[in-house]
Amino acid sequence: MVEAKVKVFRKSTKDPKAHLDVFHVDVRPAQTVLDVLHSVLYEKDPTLSFRRSCRSAICGSCAMRINGRSRLACNTQALELVERDGHLLIEPLKNLRVVKDLAVDMSGFWKPLKAVKPSLIEPKDPPKVSKPIPGREFDNLKIVGDCIMCSACLSECTVKEVDSSYLGPAALAKAYRFVGDPRDAATKSRLELYSRHGGIWDCDTCLMCNEVCPMGVKPLDAILRMREAAIEHGLVDNSGARHALAFAATVERTGRLNEARTAIGSLGSGFFAPGNLSITARAFLKGKRPRLTSHRLKGHKDVMRLIEIVKAPRRSP
Amino acid sequence: MAVKRDVLVIGAGLAGMRAALEAKARGAQVTVLSKVHPVRSHSGAAQGGINAAIRPEDNWENHWFDVVKGSDYLCDQDAAEILCKEAAENIYELDRMGCLWTRDEKGNIAQRPFGGQGYARTCYIADMTGHFIQHTLYEQMIKNDIEVFEEWYAVSLVTANGHCTGAVALSILEGRLEYFQAKATILATGGYARTYRTTSNAIANTGDGVAMAFRAGAPLEDMEFMQFHPTGLYGVGILVTEGARGEGAYLLNGQGERFMKRYAPEKMELAPRDITSRAIQTEIDEGRGIDGKPCVHLDLRHLGEKRILERLPQITSLAKSFVGVDPVKAPIPIQPTAHYSMGGVATDIDGQSPMPGLFAAGECACVSVHGANRLGGNSLLETVVYGRRAGRAAAAFSKKATAADGGDETLRREEAFISGLLKREAGESVARLRTELGDTMTAKVGIFRNGPDMAAAVQKIRELKKRYSGILVGNGDRVFNVALIEALELGSLLDVAECIAIGAVTRTESRGAHSRRDHLTRDDANWLKHSRFRKQGDEVALEYRPVRITKFPPQERKY
Repeated sequence: MVEAKVKVFRKSTKDPKAHLDVFHVDVRPAQTVLDVLHSVLYEKDPTLSFRRSCRSAICGSCAMRINGRSRLACNTQALELVERDGHLLIEPLKNLRVVKDLAVDMSGFWKPLKAVKPSLIEPKDPPKVSKPIPGREFDNLKIVGDCIMCSACLSECTVKEVDSSYLGPAALAKAYRFVGDPRDAATKSRLELYSRHGGIWDCDTCLMCNEVCPMGVKPLDAILRMREAAIEHGLVDNSGARHALAFAATVERTGRLNEARTAIGSLGSGFFAPGNLSITARAFLKGKRPRLTSHRLKGHKDVMRLIEIVKAPRRSP
Repeated sequence: MAVKRDVLVIGAGLAGMRAALEAKARGAQVTVLSKVHPVRSHSGAAQGGINAAIRPEDNWENHWFDVVKGSDYLCDQDAAEILCKEAAENIYELDRMGCLWTRDEKGNIAQRPFGGQGYARTCYIADMTGHFIQHTLYEQMIKNDIEVFEEWYAVSLVTANGHCTGAVALSILEGRLEYFQAKATILATGGYARTYRTTSNAIANTGDGVAMAFRAGAPLEDMEFMQFHPTGLYGVGILVTEGARGEGAYLLNGQGERFMKRYAPEKMELAPRDITSRAIQTEIDEGRGIDGKPCVHLDLRHLGEKRILERLPQITSLAKSFVGVDPVKAPIPIQPTAHYSMGGVATDIDGQSPMPGLFAAGECACVSVHGANRLGGNSLLETVVYGRRAGRAAAAFSKKATAADGGDETLRREEAFISGLLKREAGESVARLRTELGDTMTAKVGIFRNGPDMAAAVQKIRELKKRYSGILVGNGDRVFNVALIEALELGSLLDVAECIAIGAVTRTESRGAHSRRDHLTRDDANWLKHSRFRKQGDEVALEYRPVRITKFPPQERKY
């Protein structure tokens, strides 16, 4: 047993200034961070607020930031972190408003989830039992279906941090649950919806969602698959898709990225909008002057071989 | 300002959501209250699967017989018949809603064998079946725009002239009480295995709906029948699915012996849960646990890594997280864990309680389809079959009923009680009382029972109820007051536990999960009947009701 220093984020209507309370809690081996929070609640401070229910990593209630990373309190071994960092630091999820202490306002999570129209749109005359979904497609759906909606991904999302209109990783993973489902009768209109501002093209592929997900859902992978599907469906009239295509085209041409052409290709006629022109002008004055032409890379042949592999039709494993 | 609706559903797990969807589809105005967000409900923790006879070689009548025999002949056979007959269409309906099912090599919905059944008829998706159905139903809730009051904790039913007219609930986020007036109220609040110390249940499974119904004067039924799941993770009680044994896992004692051959030579590890839990407990009690500890081993290793990771990914990760064991490489230490409440609010086959306007569905109800022992894979099935039936019946009832008023008095009473708790400055700890209750139930009303222990448990629970009147919350804040909710939940647990213990000490026989050392055999002459519990002042009054036997005459139960 170790006496651990446990720092807990506190905020309430009575005490609206956010601060850390420090508790000294005896932590035994095999105890989880949730056990530690219960020790605080039952033995030290009955005014502490946090969510939890199943304590077996399936209900998704108890996601919070523990020693700097969003994860479930119920399946996080406390002693391991105490031994690694010398303390426990327990804070609420980011990118959601704090209601009290560790309890956040989850409506910021549920609203974008509902916005992706998260239910199967049936074909007109569905068969009694649907056709089986082939192996890899099924596995991709099963993985996003594993999501317990704990909001750990949204908490760590670097886009959500700067753009509140972004749907976020969990909602987009849920969107893929239907885009990738061959039973769904609205794939194209879904992809149109998700290609709008705040959707699949706004992800900056920072990988944090894949990194922190306690269920291995890999929201980023789902987002990238939807980008491919959107382009395959010809949904290219948006800066995200144009950027991807322009990026690929410049690499194909010379073997390397041409930033100037990519920027013009991404923005289309929007490149000449006054706001963008002024940015370009300022960049130019600061010495950032990407060239419109570039030499073909020495290893261009090898690059082309890679591109051909990527473009080849996929085979199921 | 009261919220007025045709149908109020309390609880948003599988039964509650299925009931709400059905009531709305039938034209009723529906509101759902839940103390946790719908996807946080404990139905999502159900792992192994859902039963339905969907193969040409199988049929629902075989399933029906297995349920009746599994129940130790205490279930109502007409109710069990409906459960089995309506099973297949509910599986197909979930498929059409978008639920994923694991398929076999031929592309058919895969089925695995579960305990006490003559055919492999448990449909599943890996070991996350409850989770996938729960999220599918939640998708339908969003699609059908069903109003949900999330994180509202129902504290009391409201009655007028013996009719249920809704409920008073507390907003957890805001701390204010509201009257939800309804022509029909459906309880779908789940089980109450949290009365026990070692349990597979979520912290939220405190039997609030069952306790509310009891306090309002509706009868409870068969409360003494608590299912102990054979395989809870050692020390924490977290569920390890029966699907593990369905896939072929062995139970081994400290001597490495597959001891089930001495208890159920034909079914072995796939004996029903009551028999398997007693076998494990006997091995432990007789000194054949693992290294002298109160656990045995569940060994999956011979299934191979590929199959374990494909079919049982969740329990693999739970075993790693909570007992530090990788089931691919080592056997999992397990012990029986309080799991499922066969008893609950007494209802008919449409989910209607004897109290007009009050319905119940799912684990909080006692229809009774499980009798003295539920078979694995039938709880998820009950939620959808009887959730739907309760939703339909409640919608029909609401068309005829006129909502009477009567909420003001309940509202005032509950407000006075809660503000009293919030203001109190000294008293006994809620956690201590709850621990004493759990220890008492596990030690004295557990897998093996006897008269003197259970009588002592009844006395202890009454003492705890007295002490409950002086408990301390210690937190006066109205916003997200976890300590307050736990205090209210303890009130539910105590009421429910008293019924369990009284029912158990009174029933002088052994049947299904109720196993007495001092009355070893089943006694059909005196006890082939349902227990009913009614609140009479501060006492629990017991009545009995005959079992409806429509096809299968009681026989000796052997596996």
